[in-house]
Amino acid sequence: MGFNKVTWTPGHDRHRVSDAHFRQLRRLRARGENHGRERIAARALEGSLVSLAALIGSAVKDPDGRHVGELRDVVVSWTAAVSYPRMTAIVMRTGKRDVLIGARWIEVSAPASVRLHSGRAYARKVDRRSGDIALAHDVLDHQIVDRDGTQIVRPSDVYLAAVDGRVELVGIEVGLGALLRRLGPKRLRGRIRPQRVIDWGSIHGFAPRPGEDERTPRSRTAVAGRPGAGIELDRTAADVKPMRPTETQSALRRAGTRPGGDAS
Amino acid sequence: MSSVDTPAARERPRAARLPRWLRRMLGLLAILGPGLIAANAGNDAGGILTYASAGSEFGYRTLFLLVLVTVALVVVQEMCSRLGAYTGEGLGALIREQFPLRSGAAAMVLLFVANAGLTVSEFAGVGASMELFGVSRYIAVPIALAAIWGITVLGNYSRAQRVCLVMGLVFITYPVAAVLAHPHWGTVVSNLVWPHFLHTQAFLLLAVALIGTTITPYMQFYLTSSVVDKGVTPKTYKGERIDTVNGAILGDIVSIFIIIATAAAIGGTGSLNSVSQAAEALRPVAGAAASQLFAFGLLGASLLAAAVVPLSSAYAIAETAGVERSLSRKLREAPVFYGIYTVQLVIGAMVALMPGNLVELVINAQVLNGFITPVVLTYILILANRRSVLGDAANGPVFRVVATVCVAVVGVLSAVVLAETVAGWF
Repeated sequence: MGFNKVTWTPGHDRHRVSDAHFRQLRRLRARGENHGRERIAARALEGSLVSLAALIGSAVKDPDGRHVGELRDVVVSWTAAVSYPRMTAIVMRTGKRDVLIGARWIEVSAPASVRLHSGRAYARKVDRRSGDIALAHDVLDHQIVDRDGTQIVRPSDVYLAAVDGRVELVGIEVGLGALLRRLGPKRLRGRIRPQRVIDWGSIHGFAPRPGEDERTPRSRTAVAGRPGAGIELDRTAADVKPMRPTETQSALRRAGTRPGGDAS
Repeated sequence: MSSVDTPAARERPRAARLPRWLRRMLGLLAILGPGLIAANAGNDAGGILTYASAGSEFGYRTLFLLVLVTVALVVVQEMCSRLGAYTGEGLGALIREQFPLRSGAAAMVLLFVANAGLTVSEFAGVGASMELFGVSRYIAVPIALAAIWGITVLGNYSRAQRVCLVMGLVFITYPVAAVLAHPHWGTVVSNLVWPHFLHTQAFLLLAVALIGTTITPYMQFYLTSSVVDKGVTPKTYKGERIDTVNGAILGDIVSIFIIIATAAAIGGTGSLNSVSQAAEALRPVAGAAASQLFAFGLLGASLLAAAVVPLSSAYAIAETAGVERSLSRKLREAPVFYGIYTVQLVIGAMVALMPGNLVELVINAQVLNGFITPVVLTYILILANRRSVLGDAANGPVFRVVATVCVAVVGVLSAVVLAETVAGWF
């Protein structure tokens, strides 16, 4: 038992309250504090995560700030040796055609900005190499399935971050907020507020549609982008725990993300 | 060699002894499924009213139009079925993956709202048909709701499909009703093979309404998702194609018989306001049996569509969200899918039981459908043309032209009816 106020002051009621009521108050306060922490962490992440959804359609500029094209996709390479794929190129629309510009020519900054290092960046024809994933084409809005093939959700955003000077694919957003942000006005797209992020480290690979070539051993990116292909987790749906903003922040800190998210 | 006396070994020669035509027929029955159900569901309460109205107002004159619509329906349904079989994904999933998020989301919201309105009209159809048999709608509609929910949610895909196929058998009542109405078969054939159109605004609007009610978005969404749910793959697509094409043709044959029945019995008496009015009008001319058959057909059609329309919403939205969506899953394994289905079903039944005139609501639902149809058909056409989606199964050059013409004509006519309805508001 206790009182609703620590001390009595004239003109204010001070009455006894039960332990259960106190426990409930404590829970509510803790929940409020937790929400506050998550909100602050989510806002802070805007400075370290690059949002693919915000990047798509954004202007690619040269060192003098001139518009050279529009970003269509980001290509990462997922070789067997790494857990987190590294950005290797961007697909840029210039005029009426798409070209590929290698990562060495570009500088990506959080939350959604791409700039060329040089006005003479080498652009090549768009082609797909083994281990390549085109994030907008193969990952964003595609089906996530668990180890048993259970359909879970679709990613509403894909996050990249600068780790040790490289831009890496770090996670996929499955929260409703990111989806609403994409549906909302264009000016809100840069306001990234991660809510529920699945660590890319828990992705096993791309799975073919049920019943298709299941017995054939494949590389984990062989069916990427094929209609019906799923992004397969390495665990069951019951074990999937998307990270809250504070957990995402800690994970990025452990990975050695450079604050500001700039990488070239 | 050993002669193994297994049940399978005993079955084989017995099956082989059957006449070839019977074996073929049994084979055809085995592949019936999503295509036939989707086409039958297209002959829902609103559809029957439109066909009956066409017969009562213009006699046999709209029959040739229905032949043309059948071609368009076959083309559209075949593309949907192919998309489902070759990609393993429903239209909702494909639209989310292949088109801008905003346009896809807008299409889903409109589909949900339009389907909600249609579900109301299906339950209203159940109530109206049962009242023709002397059963109160306040008893019939809740029982229908419970039965539909139980069969779809508590069973599995195969059972739901079997029940839907059996429900589709009620459509046999329309050819029988047409025969009982003693039509002039020579005129029927003449109107089927040669256009006898009228150059009046009323005829044009009814023609557009006929197209709109025959090709509706929920049929396309349901068919694609149902093909996926059934587990059809490129290897087994041949059978599914037969089901889809036959289903579309059979569905439209039923529509043709509804027009023939009403044209023969009450042709030239003006448009109808309700399907029960059509059934009642048949009684003095074609006899009580024809009237009761008409009402029984309406009951079956409404029940089938009341199950299929909310299912198409549930499939589409669950696919867009990426959560589990299959009739073979248990309630707790696919809560969002069954949740959407249940909500639409319950709201539909409740609104249908409310006192007041539902005609306005049903008309608004059809206006929304008129708005979505061109959008959805364009999505389907683009998807079926894309080699990145269908590979070698993408539309060939000839099919592409035919499909584009069909989609363009249906799209333009839907836009006409939409514009006409909106203009009527002011």
